[in-house]
Amino acid sequence: MDDDDANLLAAYQRGDAEALGRLVEKYKRPLFAFLSRFAANPGEADEWFQETWVRAIEHMNVFRQKNLLGWLFRIAHNLVIDQARRKKPDCSLDAPLPDSGAPLADLIPAAALSPADEAAGRDLGGHIAAAAARLPVEQREVFWLRLDAGLPFKEIARIQRTSINTALARMQYALAKLRADLAPAYREIQESRP
Amino acid sequence: MNPHELEQLLLREQSGELSPSQRRALDAEFAANPAARRFRDQLRALAGAAPAPAAGPAPDAAARIAARLSPRPRIFTWKPLLATAAALALLLGVYALRPGPASAPVATVAVAAAAEDEDWTDLLDDDFTELEDLLAAIAAEDPFADL
Repeated sequence: MDDDDANLLAAYQRGDAEALGRLVEKYKRPLFAFLSRFAANPGEADEWFQETWVRAIEHMNVFRQKNLLGWLFRIAHNLVIDQARRKKPDCSLDAPLPDSGAPLADLIPAAALSPADEAAGRDLGGHIAAAAARLPVEQREVFWLRLDAGLPFKEIARIQRTSINTALARMQYALAKLRADLAPAYREIQESRP
Repeated sequence: MNPHELEQLLLREQSGELSPSQRRALDAEFAANPAARRFRDQLRALAGAAPAPAAGPAPDAAARIAARLSPRPRIFTWKPLLATAAALALLLGVYALRPGPASAPVATVAVAAAAEDEDWTDLLDDDFTELEDLLAAIAAEDPFADL
């Protein structure tokens, strides 16, 4: 662990509350950014942020990683997966409806860009965020840990407790889906290149 | 090199995780295939176009975390109770198995017991005598004499 982090943790354990405040401040941006990609709203992201820190401090005795941010992301990953399982619908979108026999998915508006999004036109970032939100949670994690936090695949694999090749494959699946989902916007990205 | 392999090398290049042999393979691909460079530019453009992440948590987040981490009431667990019970059982076992005092000869005990019995008999005799005297005194008096 970073010497500074180790000193701050030791100071907090001796009762120095300010030391915890400095640690939270140090890692707030990447951690909160990651959580906010999965939370329904800023309030939920805030709640998960606190929960991640509480779990991290309470389980510091099992902390074996070299860097504190990696440990925080690992806990955040567990939290995100737990929440995703809880929110998982208990009925299949492919199941036929009793009256029409059509699948439930047919009644749900297409997951592609909404008219408002289309009208927004140049909001490529918004398109990417919306398309990424439809990715399976593991792929979405790799995508944002790479793009937001800039973590290498080796570290992402450690957080997800998988191999580096799986992490890379998840990124590739995510990119393939985003390309298909964002075909018009993706063309715009290409055209906007200098 | 197929597009899948190329993309994997490009992703590794972006994250700084290319091995020397992968670096050489990628450079060779760039030299031989102009489309490989365009593909790399696409990936970079996608990363650059991603929306900025949320700024940060609420300003009082650290204080709220500290408050949640402050000492909480202890949750009842069986472990301390079991440990206490085990310690008590051990103490009782040691007490029960301790060596007792050397036993006195039977005759000595019998004599001492007899002497003790004799003392008690004398005391009882004294008490009965006193009680008899009291009863006699009460019987001699007529409680209704003044009526």
